[in-house]
Amino acid sequence: MTTPPTTRDLAHRLLAFEVVLAKTSEPSESATLRVYEKLRQGLGEFVGVAGFYSLASRALALARTEAPSLSAARVAADGSLQGLGELEHQMDIDEDRAAESATGEAGIILIARLLGLLLLFLGEALTLSLLRITWPGATLDDRSSENGRKA
Amino acid sequence: MSIQDKVKINKLPTGVPGLDEIVGGGLPEFSFNIIAGAPGSGKTTLAHQFVFANATPERPALYFTVLGESAIKMLRYQQQYTFFDPSMLPGSIRFINLSQVVLEQDLGAVLEQITKEVEKANPAVVVVDSFRTMVRKPESDMDLQSFIQRLALFLASWQATTFLIGEYAEEELRDNPIFTVADGLFWLRQTAERNSIVRKLQIIKLRGQDSVPGLHTFRITDAGVQAFSRTFGLTAHKRNPPSSRRLSFGIAELDKMLGGGVREGDSVLVAGSSGTGKSVLATQFIAEGIRQGEPGIVAVFEERPQAYAERAASLGLDLETPQKDGKLAILYLRPLDLSVDETMHSILDAVQKIGAKRLVIDSLAGFEMALSPGFRADFRESLYRMIFALTGIGVTILSTVEVDESFTEFPFSTYSISFLTDDIIRLRYVSIDGQLRKIMVVIKMRGGNHAKDIREYEITSKGVVILGKRLTEYQGLISGIPVRSDRPDSTEETSLDTGIEHST
Repeated sequence: MTTPPTTRDLAHRLLAFEVVLAKTSEPSESATLRVYEKLRQGLGEFVGVAGFYSLASRALALARTEAPSLSAARVAADGSLQGLGELEHQMDIDEDRAAESATGEAGIILIARLLGLLLLFLGEALTLSLLRITWPGATLDDRSSENGRKA
Repeated sequence: MSIQDKVKINKLPTGVPGLDEIVGGGLPEFSFNIIAGAPGSGKTTLAHQFVFANATPERPALYFTVLGESAIKMLRYQQQYTFFDPSMLPGSIRFINLSQVVLEQDLGAVLEQITKEVEKANPAVVVVDSFRTMVRKPESDMDLQSFIQRLALFLASWQATTFLIGEYAEEELRDNPIFTVADGLFWLRQTAERNSIVRKLQIIKLRGQDSVPGLHTFRITDAGVQAFSRTFGLTAHKRNPPSSRRLSFGIAELDKMLGGGVREGDSVLVAGSSGTGKSVLATQFIAEGIRQGEPGIVAVFEERPQAYAERAASLGLDLETPQKDGKLAILYLRPLDLSVDETMHSILDAVQKIGAKRLVIDSLAGFEMALSPGFRADFRESLYRMIFALTGIGVTILSTVEVDESFTEFPFSTYSISFLTDDIIRLRYVSIDGQLRKIMVVIKMRGGNHAKDIREYEITSKGVVILGKRLTEYQGLISGIPVRSDRPDSTEETSLDTGIEHST
């Protein structure tokens, strides 16, 4: 079973947003790791470390079925993502090419799987509500109005 | 210091229909409350309703989850309720998981974490769900008491209204020092009564204002918790002064027997055995009210509203049109596991919605059968509360009750509820001249004159029709087996009682 296009699109938007941010803030991490880390911080507050670990582990297991290159990655006890470095150092964070590379594709799949679990458990409204706090400037769906709420 | 100088305690909406009435108008602002009860009793749902009713972006709610239900599943389930507004998360309502701190550190660290979050967010509402799971070691009871004491002091100073949620069994209530700290203690119970689940809520204490004492039924629906006050939400209403106005049955002879009709605001009991025309009389009463511009409610338990209306139509009484016009509501209440209070709330809602002046309950036996078995023991007491509440606002109630026909006794009710009624009309069969005929007598009318006459009646296509004059040629009519007396048929006018109440 592959990632649904809408979830994949949402993941792509978040990654693209982080790529744009990367240009101004000169981050040291890849877009995938930054999105993942922001999700960990944002979700960890209310689901707890153990709660986020469980979600992330499941997301990674699902993502591996689509992107075998993620087999080296693992979720640590604190919920952080490890082992992605080998992939990530090759990753081209240029937004024009990110989606085309295998590593960029794997990142999209992993984030999409994580978002997919949130959508499954919490529903679209609540998930987008939570994401908007972490990414207030991002356009998360086509129905978003100027203030970030559904039109 | 004058009375005006007293501090005013703001009352916050609980977000739970019916609960504001129970807590005395709303929850005291800045109060420190505990919601206790067994798992599955609705504690979390109640807290969520309060949070959604009071959180704002400026003064948000902080909802601390500890060990127990996973936060993600809690949100998954809670968002099924209609009160749950996802757009309020996380701007107005923030869920913060403390399980890691609890697992790895002590209660001091938990308090420190809560303090930090509260100082950062300046919340109006704080919930800790569940505070009891924070104590994992048996020797930590004193720690918990100290923790709660310090938490209560801190949150009060930060002007937060707080709910702590805890799983407690009934026997733990006594002598538990934790409960002494709380300003409000809400106890939720859930018990199985035969095949029905009965949920009850008790405000064990609430500092600063009068709450309605006793156990209140509540139900959890897709709208969340709904509470049913024992006072039916009518505590704010003043009782109407007794009315001298008389309401007609639309049966001239019966009105005459009643000294001009039923006094407005009375509770009337029509008692008789099966087939004596209790429902017919009740239908005529309600139809006459509508004819005179008095909206009415009929609560039926033994037949469907459509059948009830069709039977009325066979008597020439149109109940369809007033229903369409919003002047009449026929309520069918037969879900079998209702509480008395819940049923009565349905009736009260309808009464208030259409401004009903007359209410028919047909019948009390059906009403009792519609209740959850566990509530039947409270039936008379609940009925008393409802009748008292409704008649107090000027609604005239006619209830029918079936009595076992006996040829040695003349009972008015098998429920011993005649004390609930102002007026009693008794219908019964009598054996006369080889026929089973029907007689009617007004047994009592509180505070008014009524006829002492025993009158024969028939049920015709026009409803109850009272025949001739009072029956004077028979003796022992109320035994059901009268004997013919030598006196000729009376031509006397109807004689009225002095109004002295009869012993019933």
